[in-house]
Amino acid sequence: MNDAATHTGLIDRINDRIGRAAAWMTLAMVIVTFVVVVMRYVFDAGLIWLQESVTWMHAAVFMLGAAHTLQHDEHVRVDVFYRSMSERRRAVVDLFGVLAFLWPMCAFLAWTAWDFVAVSWSIGEASREAGGLPYPWIPMLKTVLVLMPLTVALQGLSIVLRSLRQLAVAR
Amino acid sequence: MEWMAFLLFAAVIGLLLAGFPVAFTLGGTALVFAGVGVITGSFNEALLSGLPNRIFGIMTNETLVAVPLFVFMGVTLERARIAEDLLETLGALFASVRGGLGVSVTVVGMLLAASTGIVGATVVTMGLLSLPTMLKRGYSPEIATGTICASGTLGQIIPPSIILVMLGDVMTTAYQQAQLSMGIFSPKTVSVGDLFAGALIPGLLLVALYILYIVVTAIVKPAWVPPHEDDGSSVTLARVFSALVPPLALIFAVLGSILAGIATPTEAAGVGGMGALLLALLRRQLSVERLREIMRSTLSISSMVFLILIGASLFSLVFRGYGGDDAVHEVLESLPGGVAGAVILVMLVMFLLGFVLDFIEITFVVVPIVAPILLAMGLDPVWLGIMIAINLQTSFLTPPFGFALFYLRGVAPASVSTGAIYRGVMPFVGIQVLALILLAMFPALVTWLPSVLYGS
Repeated sequence: MNDAATHTGLIDRINDRIGRAAAWMTLAMVIVTFVVVVMRYVFDAGLIWLQESVTWMHAAVFMLGAAHTLQHDEHVRVDVFYRSMSERRRAVVDLFGVLAFLWPMCAFLAWTAWDFVAVSWSIGEASREAGGLPYPWIPMLKTVLVLMPLTVALQGLSIVLRSLRQLAVAR
Repeated sequence: MEWMAFLLFAAVIGLLLAGFPVAFTLGGTALVFAGVGVITGSFNEALLSGLPNRIFGIMTNETLVAVPLFVFMGVTLERARIAEDLLETLGALFASVRGGLGVSVTVVGMLLAASTGIVGATVVTMGLLSLPTMLKRGYSPEIATGTICASGTLGQIIPPSIILVMLGDVMTTAYQQAQLSMGIFSPKTVSVGDLFAGALIPGLLLVALYILYIVVTAIVKPAWVPPHEDDGSSVTLARVFSALVPPLALIFAVLGSILAGIATPTEAAGVGGMGALLLALLRRQLSVERLREIMRSTLSISSMVFLILIGASLFSLVFRGYGGDDAVHEVLESLPGGVAGAVILVMLVMFLLGFVLDFIEITFVVVPIVAPILLAMGLDPVWLGIMIAINLQTSFLTPPFGFALFYLRGVAPASVSTGAIYRGVMPFVGIQVLALILLAMFPALVTWLPSVLYGS
């Protein structure tokens, strides 16, 4: 195995782990929502922080899962033409796509989110609702605004390396 | 600089065709256009500084929390082989009736195809599930493929579907904007529940028309939908009961509690997810391995949907920044024929875009641009939402570019010609157009149920 292959493998493993770990939160969302409903309709008790935790997990799931989804090629494509392209052609599309779209978008998202996240930590932000999620849950959630572009950009690197290898091999 | 907005729109459509994932193509292209504008001084970069806040708004949008929960429920039902079981049982039950299998496929499509919101995936599932059986039992390829495409895409717009959740959320915002622009400062609201209620009668109308078509075919061309002789006796009442009642009860409970106003869509979806898990457990279809697969699938689908929403919001920021909204407004206002002209143009454009873009992209990219304008002309938001949904479903069915046809072609055996698929789906396209005309003439078909249930 050459260097590029090891790097791709490492990135893929990291993002796969993150995705599979985050996926457990989908089950937790179902169970917690069920509990919230039972508490409300059976025991007439509304637990705001519990309800907010479902939204929290939902956001964490799709932000932290973005790279994993990219790795498994499950971000939907308009594949009218892509479907019938050669491996080589596809590699060109993927390479160009990461360089022109994915990396700039990730860079921009991470860069604009940085201050937004830093402010939230520095003021010790908590939920605006009485009885909502306490500090540090809100800043933690905002931090995924930086983590998502970072992990997705890393997965982009894996795609770039793989596409280059594809182009080098399939002459 | 409105022409930059239209250029952006054209560039996005063109670049999407290259096949790179939609979410990043949308966002990346918009950023390039914003960058060019900032350098040439034609775009105010301060517009983009609110982006993190907007994305955080998407993350904490309470309505959209229902999406992953409904996906979880749908994926669980799918992995627990409930659709297969249902189709087998119904198919066997009505095997001796001419056209019985076709009707069964329609009903199963209606009930259980709503899980993912991706047209391709649903049609592929339905195709793999029912096409081989239909062909084996002597159905003509035309009628078999037509039924599968139509019922597979129909499941997308029958509640509870995640398409309607997303459309409902977009419509809520659009309706607020429209009313503010009309000077109404205590605006009425429209909810996902309204859309669910509004979709029910049109959805059932379509199902009824599909079934009517199959029944008429059975009378006029009996050879196309032959009965199956040797089956039917093996179906016990107990088997019908166990295949049919639990999933039906689950879906009715989820939908009923939303329509009755007892639960929010999010709560109903959560309870529905729990119910689906229980159902899978009772059928001994739930292992740790399968649970992992369900969770991973939910995560991927949810991530796919919401990343498109993030890309789309970047796109609409830039589109708006170049004055695209105002330009679209002017075009729609200046049309001859007033509201009707504007609706027809928008529907036509969406129909064409449906050849390239899926429900999710059109909901998040196109609807936010046009809906506030149309609603400010006095249209009912629920009616508009349902018209858009059925219009797009029609687009996915229309040869030669319809999405559904491509995907079914992919899983159909070589013995089924592409021509047969096209011919088979045409009567269903006719039915769709008929339904659209009916809804345009009698909007009460959509608005009556929500007004009775929620009194708005």
